[in-house]
Amino acid sequence: MPKKEPSICEETNYNLLFRKFYEPVTRYIYYKCGDLQQAEDIVQNAFVSLWRLCASITFSKAKSYIYTACNNLFYNEVKHQKVVLKHQQTVTDYTNYESPDFLIEVDEFREKLKAAINSLSVKEREVFLLSRIEKKTYNEIAEITGLTVKAVERRMSKALLELRNMLGKEIKI
Amino acid sequence: MTEHYNSDDTFLARWMAGTLSEAERTAFEKTDAYKQFRLINEESQKLEGPEIDVEAALKQVKLKIETLPKPKRSKVIRIWYSVAAAAILLISLAVILNSDQTYVTGIGEKQNITLQDGSVINLNANSSISLKRFFWMHDKMVTLKGEGYFTIKEGTGFIVNTSKGAVNVLGTEFNIRDRSDFEIKCYGGTVQFSDLNTSQMYTLTKGMQLHMENGVIKEDTFNEDAPSWKTGISTFIDKPISVILDELSYIYPITFDRSTINTNRLFTGSFVHDDLKNALHTTLVPMGIGYQMTANNHVIVLSE
Repeated sequence: MPKKEPSICEETNYNLLFRKFYEPVTRYIYYKCGDLQQAEDIVQNAFVSLWRLCASITFSKAKSYIYTACNNLFYNEVKHQKVVLKHQQTVTDYTNYESPDFLIEVDEFREKLKAAINSLSVKEREVFLLSRIEKKTYNEIAEITGLTVKAVERRMSKALLELRNMLGKEIKI
Repeated sequence: MTEHYNSDDTFLARWMAGTLSEAERTAFEKTDAYKQFRLINEESQKLEGPEIDVEAALKQVKLKIETLPKPKRSKVIRIWYSVAAAAILLISLAVILNSDQTYVTGIGEKQNITLQDGSVINLNANSSISLKRFFWMHDKMVTLKGEGYFTIKEGTGFIVNTSKGAVNVLGTEFNIRDRSDFEIKCYGGTVQFSDLNTSQMYTLTKGMQLHMENGVIKEDTFNEDAPSWKTGISTFIDKPISVILDELSYIYPITFDRSTINTNRLFTGSFVHDDLKNALHTTLVPMGIGYQMTANNHVIVLSE
């Protein structure tokens, strides 16, 4: 007999799930819609219905329920906006770029990169950002988006190729 | 030469994941575009997502939950609840529709019952009649314990169940006595009795009676217009004294201590229903049985 799963109706278990999944799911939805308020609303509503259905959803199925519910809720309100991203406040070692040109143009380049990412299609953008920002593996992304790993890899490649097409002329070698 | 990143649609993804082969990677690093890809990839990895206050969100969700009704039971369980409720409802309905109505008389009581079809049953003391509460008209059946006089309206299919067999009735008047002895008397019309043990059928017309002796049915005739018990007198012809003592204890609230007498002797005679002393006198004295009442008048000690 498998051990009985913890009940989601138990508040401590519910809180555990919330603290574990709320942030990553919200970011994922944000990369799709670009509206943090909308993303938070969607994810919170999904968690409210998780509570309402707590007796019929097992603990191990909660993650996939949340992602699926959010995806469904997202399709119900297709109001896409620009994704606002910012760069980490870390000091970058530009010597890697082997060209002093980059030193001057790096801030400008970063703005253009963000604009380019925003002009990607939603499909490519969500996959690219889940990988590059959230550091998720292609397997994890496939699980979240419901795609095959192969499809995730195609979208990743296409996204990078398009970014280079848009930004290539900015990068003087 | 076509570059790998153009022809292979997962090449760049594999490069970013670091899963290219050594040969693929070194070849790629020699291309003009490599540095551009590398810069874009490195800068992309320095991006940050939005900041999210998880605890504030949790509080908000709890607030939304509080305004909800308490969590519903799962759909499957709810369906089972409905099924169970429906089943209970159906079963109770069946039980109610199938339930019996029973009329009971106690010691010394008599009762007249008029049935739905206008038939009348006079129930003697310490007896009962039960019949279906609903839809009785579809299947006119009553179950008798003890003794009753039936006046049945014309019609088909009236059946009286007794412990010894079923009495099938057309329009008629008859008396059934199903006590320690068993007796059917027909006072009019036709009655059919089927013996439960032998499955044998007996047809009785006016003036005919059946009685059971030692488990065997005997046919006989009699001469009276109505059973005397209806007018407050019990009459017996050649009955064991035990039957008379039983009958006395149905009419009067008494029991007998019969340990010292022979109860198989036969008695012919009668007793009244409204005078205990008189009844005892008329039944016991002719048989040469002495009797003595105990202090509370309920136990009669007999002696020969």
